Amino acid sequence: MLTPPPEEPPTTPPSNPHENTSLPIDITQTYNHLLHTDPLLTHPIAAIESLITLLSTSPAGTISETLALLSSATNTLKTTIPNPIPLSAGTDLFQRYIISTLQSRSSSHDHNARGGGKGKRNHYQGGVEDFRAIRAHLLANSRLFVQRAKEARGKIARVARKFVRDGSVVMTCGRSRVVAATLKAAAEEGVRFRVVYAEDSYSYPSSISAGTTGSKTTDVVGELRARGVPVAVIPFAGVATALGETDFVIVGAESVVENGGVVSGMGTYQMGLLAKSAGRPFYVGAESHKFVRVFPLDWGDLPVRRRGLDFRIEEKERRGVGEGEGEVDVDFTPPELITAIVTENGVQTPSAVSEELIKIWY
Amino acid sequence: MPAATGVTAPSLTTFTRSVRSKGISVESSTDNLISLLKRRQIRGSQACAIATAYLLRRVVESVKVTDVGRLIERVQQVGQRLVSAQPRELAIGNIVRRVLGVIREEAEEDREGETSGYSDAGTDSRPHTPRNQDVRSPEHSTILSRSFTSSPLRHGEKDEQVEAPGQWGPQRPPLLTSHASYAVTNTAPTVTSMFSLLSQPISNFPSPTTSPGSQSPGIHQSLSSQTLSNITAAKDLKAEVVEGIQEILEELTQADDQIAGYALEHIHSNEVILTHTSSVTVQKFLLKAATKRKFTVIHAEAYPNNHEATHAAAVGNVRGDFDEDIGAEKFQKALTAAGVTVVLIPDSAVFALMSRINKVILGTHVVLANGGLVAAAGAKAIAKAAKVHATPVVVLSGVYKLSPVYPFDMDSLMENGDPSKVIGYDDGGFVDKVKIENPLFDYVPVELVNLYITNLGGHAPSYLHCIIDDHYRPEDIDLDKVDVY
Repeated sequence: MLTPPPEEPPTTPPSNPHENTSLPIDITQTYNHLLHTDPLLTHPIAAIESLITLLSTSPAGTISETLALLSSATNTLKTTIPNPIPLSAGTDLFQRYIISTLQSRSSSHDHNARGGGKGKRNHYQGGVEDFRAIRAHLLANSRLFVQRAKEARGKIARVARKFVRDGSVVMTCGRSRVVAATLKAAAEEGVRFRVVYAEDSYSYPSSISAGTTGSKTTDVVGELRARGVPVAVIPFAGVATALGETDFVIVGAESVVENGGVVSGMGTYQMGLLAKSAGRPFYVGAESHKFVRVFPLDWGDLPVRRRGLDFRIEEKERRGVGEGEGEVDVDFTPPELITAIVTENGVQTPSAVSEELIKIWY
Repeated sequence: MPAATGVTAPSLTTFTRSVRSKGISVESSTDNLISLLKRRQIRGSQACAIATAYLLRRVVESVKVTDVGRLIERVQQVGQRLVSAQPRELAIGNIVRRVLGVIREEAEEDREGETSGYSDAGTDSRPHTPRNQDVRSPEHSTILSRSFTSSPLRHGEKDEQVEAPGQWGPQRPPLLTSHASYAVTNTAPTVTSMFSLLSQPISNFPSPTTSPGSQSPGIHQSLSSQTLSNITAAKDLKAEVVEGIQEILEELTQADDQIAGYALEHIHSNEVILTHTSSVTVQKFLLKAATKRKFTVIHAEAYPNNHEATHAAAVGNVRGDFDEDIGAEKFQKALTAAGVTVVLIPDSAVFALMSRINKVILGTHVVLANGGLVAAAGAKAIAKAAKVHATPVVVLSGVYKLSPVYPFDMDSLMENGDPSKVIGYDDGGFVDKVKIENPLFDYVPVELVNLYITNLGGHAPSYLHCIIDDHYRPEDIDLDKVDVY
């Protein structure tokens, strides 16, 4: 169904982050800064890190004070970042972790207190102490979380690498670090395979011919070629044709939504549809912290500031690279097109995603 | 196939008899099973599973080491040897993982009894135990923790003995209490959950930071780091593990009957059922339905590999009760005797008849983690035909056939059988000119299956991962990770 593109995006118009005076730091700036300084950081982790930074600058108040602070910071982030889905995976996880840890601790303390009676164990002072402990733990270990998140990528690579066999032809697209890690792992283990890389000529019109250096898109191409893996770079228009020679498709994801579908770079949906019709397996590599509690039915449901269809009657210059700032080029691949999602916990079916989410929400 | 030299050909029956006799060492039993598996003298998921369970029970019984880590290591070593002896029989690996899971569970239960559950268990235990008994005596604490986790009166009794922990508290090592309240109780059940990202670094959250090569990441490590010295309850643990393996064995032998218990929900009067091969599971299912309903079974004969089974049955069911395949003749006799109309068709007629069929019921060799199944050759043709006609496909499989292994390489699970079954070698002129293949298995992708019926009930294919999560520990899924010495 084609609806005319809304002039004003229906969701969350950008608001000035500074109007929310209760925040001690500019959370959006922190978030963007984190992403800039560490190119290997994923969006959910950057969001978690930003929240930890926020916690460290604010005094340790009560539980509800802190939760309110976190949720207001989360809302600020969500309204200022064009695609808030990946970061909300991080903020949700952070908030749920605090709440559920508090719940389980207080219940286990109740248990111990009842069992312990007036014994030595009776040092339980209430939720405040627990909360301080959790807060201290979160503040102290933020580097560890980043490290774990990066290690998760390596674990995915170790699992997904088994899909790549001698002689296989792998198709991919986008700038996924998980996919890059997977293919590099396979290359370093001496698997002889070839890669078809579909390049997004829409965003980076000049890079197809160059194909080696320059734009970010071809980083993975260059890295693979440097490892002796033959890579064919094709435009998206050639995906259907190239699928005939391809064994399977593997892509990354920005986030994985509740029904097992993925939000990913523009073109992934198309590749999924084509892979389905060509009967090729379509794998998605994503860390489990990218799972997010959103249930979009299709692309139009995504709560992102997206680039609408640009209908015109007069001629116009092609859209340059810098244009359309603040709009995102993502699409939504529904779960029925996905063969399996590879997380650090192994290969899962799309239907297993909701299970994981339920585990942390209820 | 080596012909039987003397009295009986080696088989599952002879193996289970020998593995139980104390005269034969565990090592030689292991070697015996490995060669039986390699020579395909034990084949079929159920037979392999039962043989593995018997052997592992023997292994656990004979292990003399006193800590859980060693026990796990030992089972892993034997398990790996069995799996590599016959990698296509995934049921072997499933049983090894189940046994490892039993060990880990018992070890955790023990540990809980000694850590977080310590004060509770101690408190509750007073009415049952003499006060002067040493609480740390291994046998004692294990019994306590077990009896209390299962006691419904656990919470009700508490108020009567509040003074107890004061008495025992000082004896407790301080480390345990600090662990007990937080890390263990909170993170243990959520090792694979998304929270693991944010969990405590000192907790028993295992894998991302530690090298996966180190044996048995989860429980063993936290055990050795804190309470290993306290868990000398190996003797008792062993008894519990053996009991657990016994339960697995019972499950293995009862699975078919339990699956048959769901027959009446799925087969209705006057239905036309299509089935394929002579699986005992399917046969029992249909027979159960036949006790109440009149229906027609169209039976594709699965030429040429069913012939072997027919011969085996004709010789007198040499492979005992555990034989998965019985002859087509016997299959139909039993069904026709139960009042079912049976129509035997060649495999090539499946599509032609599919429009008249209400339901397809398939047995399987293995069910994989993604819901796909490896079944006797011909199954995919049937499933595809059923898809075209929108006929529901029901797959019957014991949980022991459900493997947590993801099929990265489908070809490695396929197997080619004896080509002489297609064209005999006596037809020399033909054999010389033509290449003959006899694949034994088909891979049926998950989208062709509508329903799985296991001994736990009926499940949608998308639900299988939950059953896998329930039955296998994540740390056991990759058995090859551990180095064998």
